[in-house]
Amino acid sequence: MPLYQYIVRRVLFAIPLVLGITVVAFLIANAIPADPINANLPQSALNNERLVQAFREKWGLDQPLHVQYLTYLGNLLRGDMGVSIRTNQPVLDDIRQFLPATVELATTSILVGLLLGVSFGIVSAVWRNSPVDYLVRVVALIGVSFPVFLLALIGLSVLHAQLGWTAGPGRLGFLVSRPPHVTGLYTVDALLAGQWATLRDALWHLVLPSLVLGMYVSGIIARITRSSLLEVLSSDYIRTARAKGQREAFVILRHGLSNALIPVVTLLGVLYGNLLAGAVLTEAIFAWPGIGRYAYRASTSQDFPAIMGVSMLIAFIYVVANFIVDFLYFFIDPRIRYA
Amino acid sequence: MIAPVAAPKVVASSSARRRLRQLRRQPAVIAGLVVIAAWFALAALAPVLAPYEPLEQNIQQRLQPPNETYLLGTDELGRDVLSRVLHGGRITIPAGLAVVVINSIIGWLVGAVAGFAGRLWDEVMMRVTELFMAFPTIILAMAVTAALGPEIRNAVLALIIVRWTNYARLTRGLIIEAKTHEYVDAARALGAKNPYLLFKTLLPNTIAPVVVYGSLDIGNAILLFAGLSFLGLGPEPSSPEWGRMISIGIHFFDQWWMWLFPGLAIASLVMAFNFIGDGLRDMLDPRTRA
Repeated sequence: MPLYQYIVRRVLFAIPLVLGITVVAFLIANAIPADPINANLPQSALNNERLVQAFREKWGLDQPLHVQYLTYLGNLLRGDMGVSIRTNQPVLDDIRQFLPATVELATTSILVGLLLGVSFGIVSAVWRNSPVDYLVRVVALIGVSFPVFLLALIGLSVLHAQLGWTAGPGRLGFLVSRPPHVTGLYTVDALLAGQWATLRDALWHLVLPSLVLGMYVSGIIARITRSSLLEVLSSDYIRTARAKGQREAFVILRHGLSNALIPVVTLLGVLYGNLLAGAVLTEAIFAWPGIGRYAYRASTSQDFPAIMGVSMLIAFIYVVANFIVDFLYFFIDPRIRYA
Repeated sequence: MIAPVAAPKVVASSSARRRLRQLRRQPAVIAGLVVIAAWFALAALAPVLAPYEPLEQNIQQRLQPPNETYLLGTDELGRDVLSRVLHGGRITIPAGLAVVVINSIIGWLVGAVAGFAGRLWDEVMMRVTELFMAFPTIILAMAVTAALGPEIRNAVLALIIVRWTNYARLTRGLIIEAKTHEYVDAARALGAKNPYLLFKTLLPNTIAPVVVYGSLDIGNAILLFAGLSFLGLGPEPSSPEWGRMISIGIHFFDQWWMWLFPGLAIASLVMAFNFIGDGLRDMLDPRTRA
């Protein structure tokens, strides 16, 4: 199957999914008993019929459900996600403001996790049942079993407060000026502006949160890499490669790993979505001004336009991430090209 | 954030008993079982074992580090951390169990109907399942809990709404496989109607893997519940729930005992479940066996 045909097929598959996502997000935000009135109007205004009525009319809460949904969908197609009830700003603007911080963190975390996880997995599979294997497996198990907020607290307490090896909470130190806004990713913006001190500080602040989230990712990746590599290494073509007299490292990395990584690649899309969502838990601790904190605040004030916006956005990123993964497959796994 | 755990491939075979014996020989599995049993016992006996009442305040003794009177220290209102951690299990463990049990029932039903009815039913139900899977669990659960109001019951309900999908996919596969066996044709030939086939013929033959998967999933459910609770979307602030204790503890960062001990409680319990899960996977998947 040629590449363009493959892409078109994938996109067509994604459309009903994206539409479905809007329906689910809408239903959860609307078909639920709690009334945003209670969360967003002061107590004194609740008894005032006219104020309540005006609030309902302003936000379209007096319309039947399907009308509300169609209006919402129509606005969405025009890039309008509604106005956040809490911040009184368009949800899209809010997201634009908060998303880059989260994307920056999720990206560095997945890189850290991938690097650590794959190395752990290889070591663990090659020296199976050795003390190193057990050590790696326990570390991986900690990564998937400890709540991220606990790892974050332990990291801050030991690495930052006790040892001073890493920066504390926040994206930049107090005295460091923000780089001019281009992408919203401080590292990239600082690089573009040539502000080396800012770049160093931004990276410095990324170390600890990326390590914490990376630990979770590496736990999952190490486990998958290990079992997948073990399976591959017991296959016939590995025996053939060894029989040909190839060096062991070449056999493991070239023949073994490149085949063993396919399930890891499959997971990356899911993991990236998980990381964006998991930001809800870590951003609170690292005072990271990202989408997670925004979502959390929105949900505690029943700010439905914002909640819908964020959950749809993350679901959408999830769909796109998996789309990219499918795209990677095309290059990694030759079987797809001839299917 | 929860690890997407692949459903274990459970092979029904005559050597099941031998394998169970193997399982019992794995030290990691035994350690896991011991820790879980210990937590269940501690939670059940918390009212007897706890040296203080979990809600009992003693302002003069607030923020005490671990010492002889308060083994794990006291919190910002002078409540005993040890007693609270012990009582916390009484909330978190039943919550995790409830989520998993109801998830497996809903998941089994959806997956069984999809796999059994096939065609359009299958298509529709599986697309709906995928839809739910596209939402990151914690965000969706957060939206649901936020809308329903922060309460233990609502946090559990939210997790039930968002987490049945893996069970449905697992069951669907099992049913499709089981359907091809001759005993199903035999039952049908004897005049069995669809509900009978589903609940009397197919249920007993597909339930074991679902139960196994569910028991491994308890750890994940507990992590998520603690996460919601950490966000303030579960039990009320004074509740001795582990996630809630941590979320209050972060405001007292230097009083590490306030957040470390409830955190270790969650971690040890989840890790114990994962130990058993790993043991089961190693045993059931011959490819990774030594």
